[in-house]
This record gives sequence, structure tokens and C-alpha cells, in this order.
Amino acid sequence: MMLVVSVLTLLGIFLAQRRAADDARADMQRDFELELASLHRLQDLRNAAVADRSNSLAQNPRIHAALEDNALDLLYPSARAELRDLMEEAVPGKADAADTLHARFYRFLDSHGALLVPPNNEAGELSSKDEARLAQSRLPQTLQTGYLDRIDESGLPTIDEIIAVPIRSTETNEVIAALVLGFKPVEAAPHGTAGMKSGILVNGKLQLAAFNQVAEEQIAGEVSRDLAQPSSKKKSLRVEIDGTPYLLFFKRLNQNSAYPPAYEVCVYPLDQLIARQARLRWQILGAGGLLLLGGFGVSRFFSRRLSQPFEELAVVSEENLVQRQRAEAELQTTAEELQRSARFSADASHQLKSPITVLRAGLDSLLARDGFPEEVYQEISTLIHQTYRLTGVVEDLLLLSRMDAGKLQLRLKAIDLTYLVDEWIDDLQALPEAADLRVETDIPATLQIVGESKYTSVVVQNLLDNARKYNRRGGMIRIVARRSGKQVELRVANTGRGIPADAQPFVFERFHRADAGEDVPGHGLGLNLARELMRLHGGDLRLVRSNAEWTEFSAVFCAPVPAARPSGVAS
Amino acid sequence: MKRFLAYRSCFLLASLPMACLGQATIEGTVQLPKTRFAPVENERYEIVSKAGVLATEPPRAVVYLVGKFPKSGNLPTKIVSQKDLVFRPPLLAIEVGTKVEFPNDDDTYHNIFSYSPPKRFDLGRYPPGENPTPSIVFDKAGLVTLRCDIHEHMRGLILVLETPYFAITDANGHFRLTNLPAGRHLLKAWVNSKTTWEHPVDLRQGAALHVDLP
Repeated sequence: MMLVVSVLTLLGIFLAQRRAADDARADMQRDFELELASLHRLQDLRNAAVADRSNSLAQNPRIHAALEDNALDLLYPSARAELRDLMEEAVPGKADAADTLHARFYRFLDSHGALLVPPNNEAGELSSKDEARLAQSRLPQTLQTGYLDRIDESGLPTIDEIIAVPIRSTETNEVIAALVLGFKPVEAAPHGTAGMKSGILVNGKLQLAAFNQVAEEQIAGEVSRDLAQPSSKKKSLRVEIDGTPYLLFFKRLNQNSAYPPAYEVCVYPLDQLIARQARLRWQILGAGGLLLLGGFGVSRFFSRRLSQPFEELAVVSEENLVQRQRAEAELQTTAEELQRSARFSADASHQLKSPITVLRAGLDSLLARDGFPEEVYQEISTLIHQTYRLTGVVEDLLLLSRMDAGKLQLRLKAIDLTYLVDEWIDDLQALPEAADLRVETDIPATLQIVGESKYTSVVVQNLLDNARKYNRRGGMIRIVARRSGKQVELRVANTGRGIPADAQPFVFERFHRADAGEDVPGHGLGLNLARELMRLHGGDLRLVRSNAEWTEFSAVFCAPVPAARPSGVAS
Repeated sequence: MKRFLAYRSCFLLASLPMACLGQATIEGTVQLPKTRFAPVENERYEIVSKAGVLATEPPRAVVYLVGKFPKSGNLPTKIVSQKDLVFRPPLLAIEVGTKVEFPNDDDTYHNIFSYSPPKRFDLGRYPPGENPTPSIVFDKAGLVTLRCDIHEHMRGLILVLETPYFAITDANGHFRLTNLPAGRHLLKAWVNSKTTWEHPVDLRQGAALHVDLP
């Protein structure tokens, strides 16, 4: 963000500076164009005057006579009166527009463009070498402008602006001769930029006031080199003269002229501009810096405002992550512990079953041996009974551990719950305490459930045994079974001392026996095992109630789907 | 072919004794420059200057015989008047020494002058009916261009010749020279200020030659 702001600000500064430089250059260019425009206006004015003079010359029969009748000696005298006002000396020290109309010299070109030498210096002094440069290979058809750089009478370099104007026959409109006039070059008043200098470049030579010859030659060289490039479209050049940078503008002055090309060259000193730009740069940099600082402040404020909820969210999610990782680790540990304990239970059960079997076999052989007193046989019988109890515990543990490990495979089939209950009631009749118990049943003649017969009978026997074991003398057992929808509910209720209220939530936990009393057989795994098996079958086992009168358990089994056994249902 | 015949006749004539002083005649046609105007039968034409060449428009030619002829005495005065802002006639052929008068027959001033090498003069401005009539004696052969300093379009030509035998062709170029002295001469035809054709002739007394120029 800050980087973007910085880059944008720097870019802005760069562009602003370049814009300023471009503007300055455009200002100079405009000055130059303005100067050229005013120059051209003055030139047009003078050219119009000269063309007018040419027309009157063309209408002068004496000029015609001199030209056509091979009386060239009379040409200059004939023209003198006509051109007198052009050649009148300007009032010294009075420079005005009239001054630009003052011709330095005039000459005639004959019908072939060759120069006609004047008989005397009334037509203005000019060396014969310079005169020859006024001639043209053929007569101009239109007014042409040229520039003549020469050394004047006082030995100083000077430039004349020369205008060649055709003289046309008033009859045939043919160009019969040309008048060439030499003027002091038009100087336009400088516009705008201070220190601007302008001069004329012709024949590779530049005359520029306020510059020495070396500098003039250098500028002339730069411009000539640029002009020599055919594809040059530059309007300006940058040069350094005596350590000072200058900007050059140049433009051809005499388009479509048979005279050598001449260029108006304007030189602008750049030192003031550069100083101004430096000042501007510092201003922009200062402003930019302040802007940047402000930007930083604002962006910081907003970024804080914006990022706060995200940071909070990040913290929360980090915490969540830690918690989840912890939970996962705990779950992993638990799973591993569970696995380990399940494996331990299985291992322990197997390890325990063998010694119990050996123990029982030893006790059986002792019991078969004669010669022990009667109470020893009693003791041995009790020990053998204990080994059976141990075996029951071990088998329950083994079953539980297999369930815990998820290794218990169920082979589900339809089982007749009524038959299971009846079978238990038959067994109960063989027990001595059955005489005191009254059993009520409310079970349909046939009630099918789905389950593995071995485990389902374990559950049913468990419930019914408990009802018998925890009953009171002369008590009652009520067994009710009903099918409702897809479920079959078996309710087993017994009278007797109820399970204390504070112990009821733990009645299904392993090795929990409340305070059943030592006279009640059991090892505290029965209910736990029964519920685990019920849940494994898709059903459940719960304590419905337990009070001073009744303790009632409800076991829910899955009823078989009627379509699965249509024949069975029908029968 | 005609030229060939002319040469041969000259050759034949040359073999005759020079006692012949009788009058000979030459007639023929000068091939005048093509003009975009159809030749007209009237006598009106003007002097124009094209590319520095002065000529008559429509074209006329001056045919004259060059030779050693005795000077004529009592040369008649010729007249070039200024009428309707033109010189009349526009083209005048005269023998050297002829006096030409320039009466102003317009109702405006005129200023006749010439810068031509054979005769430079300037009669100055004068009104119509100026008396005596301004005149010039042309004492040197050559072409003289007459101009008016007031009316720049006015132009006239005087061809000053060193011979009394000359004629101006008609618009078709036909000419006829009569009363010519016998002898070997040069027949010339001035067509314009830059072009003069010539043809040598050997005139027999009383002969009538036909010469076409060029």
C-alpha cells in the first residue's frame, strides 16, 4: 500500500516536472513562432511594396526599352527615378517600419537570369563577386527571397535579405527580367523570453549578435548537422555554449526559393529556465513529500481500521485451530488408548481363560478324590463355582473388548422374542427361589425381532436374570412385549428395592453394581454389555423407572421388514 | 526544286556580260511564322515582343536587296503617326538618311522615344498638332523600336536599311520588288528582331525572278 502510494507520488512528481519542462519548451516554441510570424508579416509588407514597385517598373516603357532594345546601359538610369524612394537613406537613428523598406542595393537580371552590371554605384555598392551571387540560372517566375552573407564596405560581416521579383511584360505577361533588391534583414521585436537571440543561417554561416565567432560556428554546425539528416523532424536542439545550455529553434525562411536555403535560428538561454525548474522541482518534491506523509498517515489510519476485524478473526481462527488440533490429538490419544485397552482386554481375557480352565479341572479332580473331610468338599465346590463366575466375567470382558474394537460381526436374522422369553421362564421354574416369584407376561404368541441369536439371548437373559436377582421375596416380574412400527419393545419390570436415584445415571457403566449387596451374584458388566449389544443391533436399552415399588427396563429391538419374510408373516 | 532552279539560273546569268542595267523584278513568298490567327486581308497589325523578340502580329516580313548601290538623293520624308494610341504604320522600312515625322493624331499627349542602338532619341511630350511636327533623321542602319513614354503598350518598328530596294510583304508573305538593278546581290527577309533570312540573287536585266524565302 505504502509502496504503491510512494511509486504513484514519485510518478506524479516525475510527470509534473516533465510537464513543466515541456510547458517551458512549448512557451519558447511559441515565442519563436510568434517572432517568425511577426517577421513574416513585416516581410509580407515589404514584399508587397517591392512587388508593387516591380509592377510599375514593368509598366515603364523605358525599362522595357532598355531591356528589349539592347540598351542595358540605359536600364539603371531609367529605373533610378522609379526606385529613388527605395534607395533613399533612412534617417539615422530612426529605426521604424520605413527603415525596413530602405534598400541597400538593387540589380537587374536579364532575360537569362544573368546579372546586369550597373554603370555606376547609384544602385548601391556591391562587389562583383557578391553581385554574381544574385544571378539565377533562369528568371524567377514568382517573388523569391534569399539571404546574402557578405563583408560590407567597412569590412564587417553582414547579411542582406534579397528579394528577386520578376518583371513581366504588360503585353504577353512573360517574365522579361528580374529586379533584385537587397535589404537589411527584417528584425522582429523579441517576444516573451528574455535573453533570446536570433540570427540567420545561410550557406552554413550564422550571424548571431552577442555571440562570438566560435559560438556562431558551433551553432551553425549543430543546425547544419541536423538539417543534413533527411528524416530530421526536430523543431529544436539543445546545445551547450561556454558551459551554458541553450535551446535552438530554427525554421527555413525562404521556402521554394532558387536562392540558397536560409534559416531563422533562435537561441534561448536555458540557465534561467533550469534554475526555475530546479526551484519548481524542490517545490514539487516538498509538496510531494508532504502529500506522501499525509498519505502514509491516512493510509495507516484506514489500514488499521480495516485490518482490525481481520486480525481479530485471525486470532480467533488461530485459537480455534489450536483447540481443534488439541481435540484431534486428544481424540487420537483416546482412540489409541481405547485400542490399547481393547487389545488389553482381549489379551487379558484369553490369558485368563486358560488358567481358569486349569484351576477348575484341578478343583474337579480334588472333588473326585476321597479322604477329605466334608467341609473341604464344601470349600472345593464353592471354589469351582467361583471359577464359573470368573469364566462369565472373562467372557463378558472378551465380548465387550471385541465390541470396543469394532470386531464384533453380527449375523442378523429373525428371532422369535416370545420363544426366548418362554425359554427363560422354563429355566426359571428349575430354580429354587422361583417358588416365591410370580411372573406375568403380556407377549403376542409370536413376536419376531432382528438380531444375532447368541447376543440377543444374552440381552434377554441378562434383563430377566436381573429382574429375578434384584427382586424381593414373594415379588413379581412383569414382562410386556409389543411391536410398534419398525420397533419391538420389551419391558421387563420387577418389584424389589429400587436403584437409588443418585446411582441411576451410572447403572449402565462397567463394573457398577450400585449397592446390590454381596448376596446378589453379578460382576457389574451385565447391563453395560446388554446396552452395548442393543445399540450394536440398532436398538437401545434404558431404565424406564426405578422406585420403591418397581424397577423397569425397556429394550428396543428392530422389527423385521415384512417384505423380507412374506411367507413367515403369512404363516 | 525551285531553289535549285534559281541557283542554276544565277549561274547561267553570271556568265553573261555585266552590261545589263535594266530593271529587274523579284517576287515570291516569305514563309511567315505560324500564327494562331488566320491571316487577314486588312492591313492592320501590331508590334509585339515575345521572349525579347520583337515582331509584327500577325506576321509581316520586310524583304530587301543588299548590295553596293549608290545612295539615293532627295529621300522622301516618311510619316509614322500616332493614332488611336498605336503607331501607324507599326512597321516602317526606310533607307538610311530618311527623315521620319511623328505627328500626334490622337487627342492626347505622346512621348516618342527610342533606346535602340541605331538611333536613340526622345522627342518629349507633345500635344496633338504639334508644329513643327517632331521628326528624326535615321542615319544608321538597324532596327529602331519606337515607344511612347506615356503609353507603355505603344510600340513601333523602323527598319533602317542601306538600300533603296525593299518591300513589306502582305499578310500571306507575298512580296514584289521592282526596278531592281542587275547584278549579284543578296536578297534578305527580315521576319523579326532575331530572324533574317537571306538568299543570293544574280539579277539579269529585265529579269523577273521568283524567290521563296527561306
